[in-house]
Parts: sequence; C-alpha cells; structure tokens
Amino acid sequence: MTSSPSETETATEAVEAPTVHPLQEYADQVAAVVEGTATITFDTVKVEVPAERWVSALTTARDDLGLFFFSWLSAVDWASEVEVGDPFPGEVEDRFEVLATLSDISEGRRVTFSTTLSKDSPSIASLVEVFAGANWHEREAYEMFGIDFPGHPNLAHLYLPDSFQGNPLRKSYPLLSREVKPWPGTVDVEGMPGSGDEEEPVDGPSEENPEA
Amino acid sequence: MVLDQDLVRHLSESSVSVELQTEEMTLNIGPQHPSTHGVLRLVARVDGERAFDVQPVIGYMHRGYEKLSEVRTYPQITTLVNRIDWVAGYANEVPFIVAAEKLLGIEVPERAQFIRLILSEMARISSHLIFMASYPLELGAATPLFFALRERERVLDLLEGVTGGRFHPNFNRIGGVKPAYGSGSSTRKVIQDLPAGFLAETRDAMDKVMAAVDELEQLVADNEIILARTKGIGILPTEVAASYGVSGPNLRASGVKFDLRKVEDYLPYHLFDFEIPVGENGDCWDRWHVRLLEIRQSVRIVQQAIDSIPSGPLQAKVPKIIKVPQGETYVRAENPKGEMGYYLVSNGNQGPYRLKIRSASFSNISILPWILEGVLVPDIIAIMGSLDFVLGDVDR
Amino acid sequence: MNFLTELFSNFWVSLTGKLLLVALMIPLIGMVIGYAEMKLSAKMQARVGPYFAGGRWGWAQLIADGVKFFQKEDLVPDEADRPVFKIAPVLVLVSTVAILVIIPFGPGLIFRDLEVGIFFALAISSLSTVGVLMAGWSSGNKYSLMGGLRAAGQLIAYELPLVLAVIGSVMLAGTMSMSGIVEAQISAGYPFVILQFIGFGIFMIAALAELSRIPFDMPIAESELVMGYLTEYSGFRFLFFFLAEFANMFSLSAIAVTLFLGGYWLPGIPEDVLAYAGPVILLGKTFLLVFTMIWFRWTFPRFREDQLQSLAWKWLIPLSLANIIITGAFKVYL
Repeated sequence: MTSSPSETETATEAVEAPTVHPLQEYADQVAAVVEGTATITFDTVKVEVPAERWVSALTTARDDLGLFFFSWLSAVDWASEVEVGDPFPGEVEDRFEVLATLSDISEGRRVTFSTTLSKDSPSIASLVEVFAGANWHEREAYEMFGIDFPGHPNLAHLYLPDSFQGNPLRKSYPLLSREVKPWPGTVDVEGMPGSGDEEEPVDGPSEENPEA
Repeated sequence: MVLDQDLVRHLSESSVSVELQTEEMTLNIGPQHPSTHGVLRLVARVDGERAFDVQPVIGYMHRGYEKLSEVRTYPQITTLVNRIDWVAGYANEVPFIVAAEKLLGIEVPERAQFIRLILSEMARISSHLIFMASYPLELGAATPLFFALRERERVLDLLEGVTGGRFHPNFNRIGGVKPAYGSGSSTRKVIQDLPAGFLAETRDAMDKVMAAVDELEQLVADNEIILARTKGIGILPTEVAASYGVSGPNLRASGVKFDLRKVEDYLPYHLFDFEIPVGENGDCWDRWHVRLLEIRQSVRIVQQAIDSIPSGPLQAKVPKIIKVPQGETYVRAENPKGEMGYYLVSNGNQGPYRLKIRSASFSNISILPWILEGVLVPDIIAIMGSLDFVLGDVDR
Repeated sequence: MNFLTELFSNFWVSLTGKLLLVALMIPLIGMVIGYAEMKLSAKMQARVGPYFAGGRWGWAQLIADGVKFFQKEDLVPDEADRPVFKIAPVLVLVSTVAILVIIPFGPGLIFRDLEVGIFFALAISSLSTVGVLMAGWSSGNKYSLMGGLRAAGQLIAYELPLVLAVIGSVMLAGTMSMSGIVEAQISAGYPFVILQFIGFGIFMIAALAELSRIPFDMPIAESELVMGYLTEYSGFRFLFFFLAEFANMFSLSAIAVTLFLGGYWLPGIPEDVLAYAGPVILLGKTFLLVFTMIWFRWTFPRFREDQLQSLAWKWLIPLSLANIIITGAFKVYL
C-alpha cells in the first residue's frame, strides 16, 4: 500500500511508517546488538543477518537480549514463478530464507531472525549448541526443503519415511492433485453439482472493496 | 524366542555372582498404545524397568498442512487448521485468521472478538477436561474419566449449538465470525447472530463446570497414590524448557508466570480480570494442578465476557473474493497446549504463499528424550501424560 | 430320603457330586461377581452398566460374554512356547478352585475338612504365581514378559504378609482346620477381627495384591502394558483367567470371613438354624468384602512397582510380625 497524503497516514494501520510504530525502538535495539537490519512487518519485528553470522547473532540475542525461548525455525522457498494465483507484484529473487523466532518469557517480546541462502546447495550452521530445541526444527527444515545443517547431530527424516525422496515444501515439488485438477480461480466456493443454489461468480475485487 | 537361548546359555555358563548381569531390551511403546494420545511411537531401550534411551518417532499423522495451505484459500484453510489440535478445535483457527486480518488491515467488530474469546476459552476448558479425564486413567484411576467427560459434553453441546461442530467449528471468517444460518438466497438477508439463549445456557454450564472442577480436585488432588506417582516425577527446569520451546501449562508449572494472553493482542483479554496459575516444582503434579486451576480461570473469563458482551455486527464488511495483500507476519496465541503461532507469507493471492504452523505439542514433546532419561517405565507414561500433547498438533 | 443318604454315603458318588458342585460354583460365582463389578462400577461412574442383555437389568451380560469367549478362535502366537502357554491358565484356575474345597459353608457343610485347612489353602493359592509367570514368559511378547516379571515380584512379595497375617488368627483358635477356627469363634463369642484388626487389614491388602487388582495391578497395568501377561490370551484361555480372577476374589474373601469375621456364624442364631442359614450368612459376608474390593478398584490409581514392593517389605511384613508377637504374648499371659 503506497502512502497517501498525510491526512490518512494516521488513520490507516501503520504498515511501513516506522516513525509511528511502537516496536520500532525495540527493533532498532535488537538490530544494533546483533548487527543486522531490522524491519517491522505487520507488528512483527524481523531482523535480517548474513548467513555467516547466523549462530553468533542468535547466541548474542539469547545471552544479551534475554531472548532465550526458542519458538520455531523454518524456511521459505522464494520462487519468482508461482503455480497458483497471480504472480508476485514486484521482483522476487529466487532464494531460501531461513527464519527463526526467539522470544523472552517475561514481557513477551519476540523477534524473527532471517537469513538468506542460495538455491543450489543451501547450507547453514546448526543452532543445536545454542538452543537444544532447534534439533527437531532443523530436521524438519532439512527434510522439507533440503537445507543442510552442518553440526547437527542427527540430520535424519522426522516426519517422512526414510525412503521418501524429494523435498515436499519446495515450490518445485508438485502437489499432485493440482496436476490433475486446475486451480478453481475466481469462484470462492463451488456449489454442489446440479443444484441451483450457486453464487454468481464475481470477477476480481468489486465495488464492495472497503476502506481498510 | 531369542531370550530363551541366551538365558539358558548364560545360566549354564555363569557362576553365581553378586552382580546379576541383565540384558537390555528395546521396547516399542506405540504407535498403537492406550496411552500415547494418538500414534506416537517411543523406541525405548530399557534395562529391567529403567529406560535409558527413549527416542520418539513421529510423523504417523503427518498430513502436509503447510504444503496444502499453499493451494487453498483462506476459508478453506480454516477447515484444515482446526484439525491440528482437534481437542480444542476453535483455538487453532483464531491466530490464523488474525494473521490474515492483520495483513488486510481489517478491524474486527467488538462483538465478534468477544465471541471468539468466549469460544476460545470454551475450547481451553474442553481441552483441559480431556486432560483431567485421561491423565488419572493412565495412572490407573478410571473414575475421574467419566466425571470430566460428562462436563465436557456440556461444553461440546454448546459449541455444537452455535458453530455446528463439536470438534471442528469452522466458525471464523476473515473479518469476524459466521453463525450457522446458512448463506442461501433465502437466509442470507436474515440478521445473523448467535442462537437465542446461547449466552444464558453457557453461563449455566459454566457454573456446573466449576462445581465439577471442585469435585475432581477433591477426588484426585490429595489422593496418596496420585501424589506418590506424580510428585517429584519428571521435573522440568525453566532453562531446559525454554531452550526446547516448551510452552503453555508445562512452562507455567515450572514456575514461569508467563501467559501469551496477557502480552499478545490477538483477542481482547486485557478487558478481563484473570490470574495466571503457576506451579512450584515443575513436576507432573504441578502440571496437572496448573491445568485444573486454569479451568477455573477460563470459567471466570467466560462469565465476565458473557456479562459484558457488546452488541453489533458479527463480521466486518469484506469483499466476496478476498485477496490478502503482500506481506509477512507472525501471530501467536495461547492455545490450551501451549504457544501456537502462524507465520503467514502472502503474495497478494486468495491463499497464502507460505504458512508456517508453529504447533505447541511439537516443541513440547521434543523434550521427551531429555526428560525420560533414566526413568522407570511406569513413569514414562506418567510424564508423557502430563505433557498433554495431541498427535495432530505434533505432526500437522 | 433314605435312598439318597445311602447313595451319597458311597464314596465315589459323593466325590463326583462334590466335584460337580465345585465345578459348577466357579462359573456361577464368576458370573455373579462379574455382573456385580460391572453394575457397581457403573454406579460409581455415573453410568448405567449392562442394560440390554436380559430385560433392563442386564443379568445375561456375563452369560453372553462367556458364550462369546467360548466361540472365539483359539490363537497361540507363533513365538509362544505352546505347552507352557496352554497350561498357564489352567494352573491359575485350578489353584483358585482348590481353595473352595476347605471353606466351611455351615456346620459340617464343607467339601473336605482338612486338619491343615488354612495351610493347604495358602500353599495351593501360591501356585497361581507360577501360572502367571508361565503366562508372561511363554507369550513371546516383550510386554507380556514385563508383566509376568512384575507379577512374579509382586506376588512373591505379598505372599509373606498374607501368610503372616493369618497366623494371628490361627493362634487364637489353636487349630489350622477351617471349621475348627469358626467353632473357636463361636465358642469365644466374638469374631477374631476384634482382636486381629491389624491382621485383617494386612490380609485384605495382601489379598488385593495377590489378585493383581488396582491399586496393585502393575502386572496388568492396562494403560502401560496393554494387558501385561494377559496380552496374548484370547478366547476361552482368557476366560479361564477372567473367571479365575473373580473366583479368587470370592475365595480369598471367604477365607478372610472364616478367619476373621466369624464364618457362617452370626451371634444370636441357634445351632440348628445355622445348618440352613450358614451358607447364606457366609455368602453375605463374603460379598461385603468383595464389594469393598470392587470399590477400591474404581477409586484408586495404581502403585508403581517399587512403591508396591516397599509397601510390602517395609510396612506390611514388619507389622504382621509385630502382630504375631503381640498375639502370642496375649495368648500366653491372658
């Protein structure tokens, strides 16, 4: 959403107006301590660190910022070609983004740390020494995305059978039913076949589009 | 059977000595087992009655929700998501819908928020009552099961009356809640609201639940055998819990006064007065006791919410086809089992680009290898039961 | 009447008659107690219990269960040790039945009045320990093995308090014959439980442990070991264990009634009435104890194995030894 003239700036939910957001100060503090770049995306503090300093940044966050509760670790497979729906509004770089959320258990502050890995041979140091709970999360990321975590004691399949081949959550891994039946597209709910009680299909956002 | 030959050879060869050499045995607990809350498999190496290496094997219930959600629309994902923790179905939907609403920038009407809160708390009561029922059963006491489930039926009946589903409500829509009046051409124009009498019946039922909780406390809390089986068993220190990501009543039983309902803003909990029960030692008894006290607090919240529920619409005006603008956010909620969160990445379509589901039980049982080290076999059952997990929540 | 008395004075006829009667009693008692357990547990749990089989009382439920067990396929697991697997339930049932032989149902109404009645009963009942261990070992299943070993440990540990608790009553009566003990209570004018309440308590606790009932059902431990040593048994072999448990409840309760609660006698009932009312009184008192056992089962959770063992060795055995010493002193000096 592009910013409108100043009179509507305070009325809308502040999305990318860093000067108004209550978490901005905390985000800057975190970014300074771990030496990364902070953004606030829809009330979530996201700090980006380069891949080489992944472990040291999170260790610092655990020790110096009190973020010692390990919430989760996972990845996002960014691919510029989308299988379903409309393509990306802007330019998207093909990459893996590894995300890890840490939190504290006194005030409820939480930070999502992210780092970027390349698509071919993605690999990032394991966090098992820093947070014991990263063990299972990294195994899941390994089997779902194919990301390697050197330093992990037992990088084996977690959910999938040992003989399973492929990494299901990659965008390149097809969801078989979509090969057979195409995306339904604009109709939100398909009516029962043969009944007359069907919604009239609407093309795209209509005039009912509300003000946010 | 291998044991025969080995033992015979051992007996014939060995002389009587003071140290009795015993062999270790690999015991498979599950996946089909009365006490594993679903299809969880524990591969335990035991020496006599003592287990020294317990590895959980999960994935028997993996349904691929994260991949599925990439090819579904938001209302469709609501039906998927309440099957994660099926014991407290409604509570799974709320953080997901709130994440989508955050990206859309929609303001949910107050009445809808109150209804979501009431139903979430009823889901919490339902989940904790299942725990009250099944945990003594795992220890051998069969009777609290019936008392707790009888009360749970009241709550489930109310949930069914308003949402149409006991376990899978599908009651949230982007922008609010959707009462089950149907959307056919004749009923669409009817002013849609909660069924008449729902609030009064809920208030009644909450009083009965309170009485039942008192009864359960009397029956179970001071029973000597329960105390002998659960006090001092499975102590979970705070640092270990935090590094593994154990959350919810398990964390609070270790003495941490932390509840996401007080710090996150996904529902208007700040309007209500409730306490956070905390345990002392972090053993199994504390985990049981914290959940019992939480039922009481949930009843308080529901009663306050019913007394102060505002009137108004139940859903904000949203277009028929909802496309959530591009963005990412992480919304987390205090589910009955612990912290449940959704990291939603959207690229402007009718469905998410990536949905990461952070489920409470996954992190809660990742602690099993640590906590079951050197523990007796009956205590494995006692500790596992006290962590209160559900396999749908673990495997998604 | 004369013809019947003559007929039954023949040794073989009376022997056959007694055997038939005992054989008939076992399933009958098993069914009645099983039905009582189902209905009582339902009452305690806000349920109804058996309802549809047999009018609205469900009395035919156990009969239906018996028929069901009989017509099931006889499964012996591949890994199991076949002869041992097949003998184990028989051993358990036989040791139960043998106890019924020495219980006095009335003055002179006893299958066989042995001089060493109570000694015989306790000796035979410990055969069931062997049976349980055989069942656990031969099933070829790790859960059964664990259950069998737990059972062996538990049953052996609780044999001692069971036996020692009885000695106090035997000392007061001065004889080991069961009918002699009842007659001693009749002539003393009070049931021995008044002096031997510690012995009675220990006997009841040890009896619950011998039966592997909650709170002592670690060997079965349904929520942990599926069914413990019973896991691989199905069909009529399981029926043997099932019946044996209920019949054993009856037997041990009957022994407790005879030794401590006055047997077939109630104060104030004349001798000749006792011949007819005796069995009724005995059954009444026994069912009272059985009711208590059922009540305990549905109220308490189960002990862990080591807690169970420490209860036996550290508490019950010293208490029962103290009981013997005190009773002995009482007998000598008073």
